[in-house]
Amino acid sequence: MSEHVAPHRWADLWAGRVEEAERATMERHAERCRACAKVRQRVTRASDSFATIRTQSAPEVPWDAIRARVHWSVSTERQAALRRRPPAYGWLAAATAAGVAIGLGASAVAPLAVEPSAAPPDRALAAQLRREPTASPAPLIGLVSRASGDVMLDGVRPADLFARGLGEGSSLATGDGRVDVQFGSDSAFALGPMSTLRLRRFDARTIELAVEGTLDVAVAPRASGQRFLVDAGDRVVEVRGTQFRVVHDPAGTRVACHHGVVTVRDRSGEVELTAEQRLAVAAGRPVSAARPVALSADEAAAFDRARPLTLPLWDPAALPRSSAPLEIATAGRQDVRVDGIELGLAPLRVRVMPGRHSVETADSAGRFRRAGWVDVTAAPHGARFEVPAEPPRTGGITERRRQLRAGIDQPRLRGCTRSIAKAGLTGTYVQIEIAVDPRGAVGFLNVLDTDLPAATASCVRDALATVRFAPGAAATWRERIDL
Amino acid sequence: MLRGVKRDTGSGSLAALGPVDEAELIARCKADERAAHDELYYRFRRQVAGNLYRVLGDRSDLDDLVQEVFVIAFRGLERFRGDARLSTWLYRICVNVALGKIRTRKRRPAAIGVADLDATSADPSLTERPETPDRTLERRQEQERVYKALERLAPKKRIVLYLHEIEGLDLKEIAYLVDSNPVTVRTRLFYARREFYRVLAGDAAPPAEEPSGPTAAEAEIGAEIEVEAEP
Repeated sequence: MSEHVAPHRWADLWAGRVEEAERATMERHAERCRACAKVRQRVTRASDSFATIRTQSAPEVPWDAIRARVHWSVSTERQAALRRRPPAYGWLAAATAAGVAIGLGASAVAPLAVEPSAAPPDRALAAQLRREPTASPAPLIGLVSRASGDVMLDGVRPADLFARGLGEGSSLATGDGRVDVQFGSDSAFALGPMSTLRLRRFDARTIELAVEGTLDVAVAPRASGQRFLVDAGDRVVEVRGTQFRVVHDPAGTRVACHHGVVTVRDRSGEVELTAEQRLAVAAGRPVSAARPVALSADEAAAFDRARPLTLPLWDPAALPRSSAPLEIATAGRQDVRVDGIELGLAPLRVRVMPGRHSVETADSAGRFRRAGWVDVTAAPHGARFEVPAEPPRTGGITERRRQLRAGIDQPRLRGCTRSIAKAGLTGTYVQIEIAVDPRGAVGFLNVLDTDLPAATASCVRDALATVRFAPGAAATWRERIDL
Repeated sequence: MLRGVKRDTGSGSLAALGPVDEAELIARCKADERAAHDELYYRFRRQVAGNLYRVLGDRSDLDDLVQEVFVIAFRGLERFRGDARLSTWLYRICVNVALGKIRTRKRRPAAIGVADLDATSADPSLTERPETPDRTLERRQEQERVYKALERLAPKKRIVLYLHEIEGLDLKEIAYLVDSNPVTVRTRLFYARREFYRVLAGDAAPPAEEPSGPTAAEAEIGAEIEVEAEP
């Protein structure tokens, strides 16, 4: 045995996997060696925590929403597979094969022919095969997945916005809301308020979007040869990233990259942004003079909120028929969730699959509560859900919170933390949950979380329990008190 | 025989799902019966979420990962031959999904945050015995330390170490779950243990030594050295 004990051997010792003789030697060594004793303590404490980890259950997640999403994914995929599956009749299969053979033969001698869109499968397949040698990039189709406020498509406000596909040349404009457009699996863009967008090129090889205003994009990684460009005035943003934002307005151009790499260029040169960086170029200033800076935590969090909505399985041909718009109407502007997915401020419309969906709205404290269930039928009907107006607020919690803050016996509180403050332990906190009834009596006062020693936390709790409340609204709330 | 997913804190108990019931449920799922899909989901949802949560040590994207596991499971049920228990097969999917998540996440959040632990307090086993704030804090810090040490390991090492040291699975079980063979798992585990406990020991660790041959105890757990290119 070497002079010191390897750390993993202490784990073996803890697990009873060490021979008695060796165990004694190790323990004798730990008595002499402070470093090994410390290692032993750390490893043993960690090993003790394994049992806690092993018995830890998962936090609650939106089970029904997940089930709904799983069902969407699996059933939509299955339906798509069924649509693609050739008929099971032998003669029809033979005919299909013959069609393919004819098509292949024809391709050698015949010029490219335009096939009617409703061609039978065999002819469509033959046509597809004929096209392949001279294939131009396949056009992309975008479908609106979420919309709020006024949205104009090609200069009009279409009633059937969710049934329309966006292609090359389409233009979008928003009022005070936003519109999300999905154009591939995990690929979508969201046009922010008071913005316009034109799809200059929109095919499998090149996507070129011209934007005035705010555009959030989240795209699947580009394959080799694919390009994604955003024109912002005389600047071009070329994307290799997967999530980024471009804002172009009279003040200039601002680009932020959340994932991947984005290149911003103009005639003066180009600047590359990597993940979690942003670049601001003032109007009339060259790009080459600007320097990227790191995104703040708030900006990074804003990206997650702005991420365009995508449906789990992308099938642009089937989705207009197999999904439907759900309109959520609220009395004021309220954050909503559908099937556990946060959608932002309602009123809005969102594309969902047929079935039963749960709708939740956020109260003034940001807590989501179920507003109800809605059954959505297949397109074109969709559904509308009106969120009942919230009862008028009593302001109970705000007032009670103010009373708590004003009523704390600060000298007593300082007395509780004096000893630990002397020891240099400052910046501590205690989080409590407290219930006060209409008479002002405290129903319960629990310490939920704290970084104080138990005795100090108990002292703080007792100090807080002395706060007296005036009669008023009943309230139960959580409060973090920094000490 | 593989033990499968060992715990069920959800409403549906694995114990209540015997082999016959399981076979019947799988057959109904394969027949594309919506109710059977629902039953499978609601029986195993908490186990799946629990497995993912414990392997990863944080709840970010947990709902997406649970979704991914069930989508893979429903897609792959046609190919499920019944060699292992359904729960084991789902656990295997969980492990692979978790492995993918570990590989892809670039910025790793704190292993267990306050919110995470608050969320787990709903588990009756954790709330039966009220803990003092000191004890809670200590427990939390210890778990954070474990997960931080796990974060330092390469994904494959991390998974085998987690399954062996924390879940207490043996080499054959781990090999099935990570789709590898026991010899490879043994080698990986050997290096993973050394690295993990050295990280846990931190600055108190004695100077690193060249890997030596396995001791009797290491051989017992199968941590025999075999020369394998380290990932």
